[in-house]
Amino acid sequence: MSDYTIVGKRMSRVDSRAKVMGKAKFTADLKLPGMLVGKIKRSPYAHARILNIDISKALALAGVKAVVTGKDTEGVKWGVFAYTRDQQFIQTQKARYIGDEVAGVAAVDEETALKALDLIEITYEELPPVFDPMEAMTSQTELIHEDFPNNINIHVNIDTGQVDENFKKSFYIREDTFVAPEESYFQAEPYAVVARFDHEDCLEVWCPNGGPHMKSKPLSNAFKIPLHKVKIRKIAIGGAFGGRSEICPADYICALLAKKTQKPVKIEFTREENTIGTRQGHAMITTHKTGVDEKGQVLARETTCYMDGGAYSSTGPIATSVPFLSMEQAYRMGSVRYNGYRIYTNKPIRGMIRTHGRGFACGLDTQLDMIADHLGIDPVEIRLRNSRQPGEYTSTKSYVDSCAMDETIHKAVEKSGFKEKWGKLPPFHGIGIGTNSVQTGFPMGIRGGSQAFIKFNEDGEATVMSGVVDNGQGNENMLVQIAAEELGLLPEDIHLVSADTETTSSDPGSYSQVSTFVGGHAVKIAAQNCREKLFKVAAKVLKVAPEKLAAKNRLIFVKNDPGSKRCKASKSIPIKKVVRISLLNFNSVNAEGGYWPRVDMKREWVKNPYGQMCEAFSFGTTIVEVKVDPETGQVEVLEVTAAQDVGYAINPLVLEGQFEGALTMGGQGGMLTEYHEWKDGRCINTNMLDYKLPLACDMPPKINNIIVESIDPKGPYGAKEAGMSIAMSAAQGYSAAVSNAIGVYMDSFPLTPDKILAAIKERKAQSEKKEPSKKNEVN
Amino acid sequence: MEKIQIFLNINDKPCEVMIYPNDTLLEVLRDELDLTGSKESCGEGVCGSCTVHMDGNPVRSCLTLAMEAVGTKITTVEGLANGEQLSDLQQSFVDHGAVQCGFCTPGMLMSADALLKENSRPDEKTIRKALSGNICRCTGYAKIVAAVAHAGNPQDHCPDCKPGK
Amino acid sequence: MRLPRFEYLGPETLDQALDLLATHKDDAKILAGGTDLLVRMKKRLVKPKALISLKALNELSYIKKQDGYIKIGARTSLADIIASDLIQKEARALFQACEKIGAITIQHFRGTIGGNILQDNRCHHYNQSQFHRSGRQACHKDGGKICYAREEADRCNSTCQSDGATALMALGASIILAQKGGERTMDLADFYTTDGIMPHACESHELLKEIIIPVQAAQSAYHRLAYRSAIDYPIVCAGVFLKPSLKNEIADARIVVGAMGRSPLFLAQASSSLKGKAFNDTDAFKKAADASMDSAATFAVHNVGATLEYRCAMVSQMVIQALEQAAAAIKA
Repeated sequence: MSDYTIVGKRMSRVDSRAKVMGKAKFTADLKLPGMLVGKIKRSPYAHARILNIDISKALALAGVKAVVTGKDTEGVKWGVFAYTRDQQFIQTQKARYIGDEVAGVAAVDEETALKALDLIEITYEELPPVFDPMEAMTSQTELIHEDFPNNINIHVNIDTGQVDENFKKSFYIREDTFVAPEESYFQAEPYAVVARFDHEDCLEVWCPNGGPHMKSKPLSNAFKIPLHKVKIRKIAIGGAFGGRSEICPADYICALLAKKTQKPVKIEFTREENTIGTRQGHAMITTHKTGVDEKGQVLARETTCYMDGGAYSSTGPIATSVPFLSMEQAYRMGSVRYNGYRIYTNKPIRGMIRTHGRGFACGLDTQLDMIADHLGIDPVEIRLRNSRQPGEYTSTKSYVDSCAMDETIHKAVEKSGFKEKWGKLPPFHGIGIGTNSVQTGFPMGIRGGSQAFIKFNEDGEATVMSGVVDNGQGNENMLVQIAAEELGLLPEDIHLVSADTETTSSDPGSYSQVSTFVGGHAVKIAAQNCREKLFKVAAKVLKVAPEKLAAKNRLIFVKNDPGSKRCKASKSIPIKKVVRISLLNFNSVNAEGGYWPRVDMKREWVKNPYGQMCEAFSFGTTIVEVKVDPETGQVEVLEVTAAQDVGYAINPLVLEGQFEGALTMGGQGGMLTEYHEWKDGRCINTNMLDYKLPLACDMPPKINNIIVESIDPKGPYGAKEAGMSIAMSAAQGYSAAVSNAIGVYMDSFPLTPDKILAAIKERKAQSEKKEPSKKNEVN
Repeated sequence: MEKIQIFLNINDKPCEVMIYPNDTLLEVLRDELDLTGSKESCGEGVCGSCTVHMDGNPVRSCLTLAMEAVGTKITTVEGLANGEQLSDLQQSFVDHGAVQCGFCTPGMLMSADALLKENSRPDEKTIRKALSGNICRCTGYAKIVAAVAHAGNPQDHCPDCKPGK
Repeated sequence: MRLPRFEYLGPETLDQALDLLATHKDDAKILAGGTDLLVRMKKRLVKPKALISLKALNELSYIKKQDGYIKIGARTSLADIIASDLIQKEARALFQACEKIGAITIQHFRGTIGGNILQDNRCHHYNQSQFHRSGRQACHKDGGKICYAREEADRCNSTCQSDGATALMALGASIILAQKGGERTMDLADFYTTDGIMPHACESHELLKEIIIPVQAAQSAYHRLAYRSAIDYPIVCAGVFLKPSLKNEIADARIVVGAMGRSPLFLAQASSSLKGKAFNDTDAFKKAADASMDSAATFAVHNVGATLEYRCAMVSQMVIQALEQAAAAIKA
């Protein structure tokens, strides 16, 4: 299909070697001379006014070098968006969740720092907390944020018109409500920050991040220092999954302690702090009302979603929109009305997560299956009748260019044997399908583009500088593969300087799924520009036009020249030589390149949620086969088939790893075992014992990865996002399979054994009476 | 409280360190000996990121006092390679795409290494069981299991194996 | 996560250890594998002034058959128990229980059978960090007057989630507690106090020395349920013991349910209901299992993660599965 040398190949990642040797440095591994240990004091109350803080005893403790409270700040509220500025980095007035930051200490060692925390005396006045989002909206008690009435943080309203008329025209209408509590990232690496101010008063920070340029701007604002003096450094990162993108109070507190002590400070979070002191997923209550024609095509849909946002906004407007966006990208709808509410509660902050909206998405697909059931068509058929096609517009007017949704459906169906199995399996043995779509990017305003810079060293090897960050998904390798391909070098000839705000240009970050599409594309363009310069010089040497040249295996040679194989010496020249000749003849051997997705810059999440969202969308289908033990409700997953339209597979080995990891997070964990339990605003399961992440022994024995390539016209080599889609469609596939196995459409996720057992019992009871009635039918 | 001098044997090297009784082996490895390959991900002995070998057996270094390691042979991930030469298992991890973020990798390698020393040709079920005390959030375990299977059975080639490397 | 400070004591012999215990009593805790104690210390649930390490006490690691009894040193590792032919054949419930404890790389090499028997009771409100527990009143087990698992309860309702204890009680095990200058033997069933705060009848100057299992012409089995196949504590479990008579009927039966109460529950009535029944009497098994479920349900509270309703329902499942397995082994 393509004649690439390095791109498109299964290649082991450039960062693996250091990691298997235990040499890769993560933030907590850093040791800087004179480094102090930082710790954060957190509110033990869910909602409380801070009346007084006495730090005298803490300061007096030997070994304590600094104590900071809200008094050391200007009390400015920060927010991801101008209209969501609701969070101080250290609270001055009140604490809004158990874990809210109220003070920080820096000491010579961990024991002293912990002792100092205990010596900080804080007088609180407890206020009535609200933990349930529905209650929070109607509660008469003190608002969590005084500027947000009814504790409503964000309301996204989308209405394409004609919705009520189209419901009237519908042949069949269903309305169903689906609930899911929050899930959590549980990145392997607990959050940590190292900060120091250097001799030039520049701030250096190391921390796991989903985009270093997302961290540098707020720090620049908070410390009133220009951006060029804020250096977020490259560091190995142990997972992000959509989290760790925006600034965290710990970043600010660590930097503040570093400023006060004029020493480097390191803060390491415990696992508990990582769970409650960073972000979690949103709990959601979603009601879908769908009207279809006789063929099952969706004429009208009305969706209302209430999201439990926790105590602060975070990426509120985005979070409130994404589940809707995935729906409108994956499926055609004649008309749609959406009301998404993100509501404040006195609980830890919720943010964007890879499996965002499992209840929303599983509910949508479950309802489709119920509709199909009623109309006498199978789940595959109803999806094909509503699936997104290339060249269409989404409901909010995003043009969809490349789209191979149907191909993913057909291939997954074929590989899994869906048609031969569905409806024909023995009791408690089921198969289900889920389809979804993920946006490759969000409108990011001034930070929507990425610029890369490449320099050749005189030994003929190259240094690539890019703002792209690697959270573990393989972005570094992707950049190296692309650069090597375009420059005609081997991967080991490329050195990467990345994710460092001192040296690299602004980049949107990994959390909006654009590292390859935008960041990789910028590197491709920079490399092409660099190559062009070398070709000009090489062309003179080889006495041919530059257009006749190609670069591969460290050589620049004449393309398709019948003589070139025999007379390599005359029709080719090593890149190293070209570099030297260039430099000796006053020519530059560096180049830059940038890529900015052409999105509708006027599109805004709340004020104007219409227009081009991003340039490309990924599409995926996951089919799951399970067996349910009717005595225990436990689920045995037999086989998972994941098919995604990734545009183009830059590295199939890496992509498979993404699929496998995604289905584990979204399906195995997200649908079967992962949820948070609470008591009075306290999270009961913050650690890895009590929050059930999937283990190796519980994974299905057979996983089929199907890579579908639609070759997107805009993406580099045609590539689009490939890390998130399977997480979502896997959740849907798992849910559908369990529902199919037990003959009950589930509406409360995750599908833990107790819920499954209860559903089996209820169905048995109902079938012993009459035919089971289908609730929520409207006509 | 005074620090105590103890002697440890880490990766076949004798080391002398000054410790407090409440120092864990993990803390001593990371903070005193600069062996930061072993990680703390949960601190409670559940995730396996801190796994090291004590006299050849995989144990949780976050729940092992440094004092308890005295008189034993401790092997960490830093002791798997032979200088710059990766062990077969490490190379297999690299070749099969078994490493994503890499945070769980040292612990995984230590558990897998212990398994392969006891059973050089484990089947998939045995591998999964042996790795069930190591939590990975990135990979879904599939390529880790493949890497261990192929390191133990180099004759079962797959497209990603690089035999004889 | 940093441990609190303590004095580390490393006795070379059992006698030295008993001496230290006699001196320090309540101020000291025994350190075996540490997979339970050290975690609780990191959460500041317990802050002993001294730890007495069993590291050098190899004399407490053994498995032997003597005078019709299996004798296991308290410091024997779970890995050794799992590898023992003797235990696999003559005390199968214990083998099955130890196999399921935690994960190979966590417990099996460091974890000891004594440590598992002496595992403190658990509750998802109690087993939390110091930070989690601040900002609210202390619960009974934490030195306060409230139970967060059962409203209005005037006593602690923490749960015994020890796999080993459940299996060993089914096997009719007894233990030896040693102290300076002497030792005493007691039935394991009496060792569990049913008190959530102090679940073990072990004086502060005593050390668990040995576990004794009578060898009988009988079969045992152990089943447990958890969300995942490794790492997790059981949310419900059952150990059973079935002894055939010469007429090949059930002469003696013991059903013990664990993870449902403050101690493993020996269900006397359900057990004796099986006497005289045939080994293929599935009806009798079902009745005994249901009776076990009804009994156990009165003790359980929602404090180990899964819903209470589900755990109660699963008692019956665990008991039946264990009974069927033991019965099948007798047939074979």
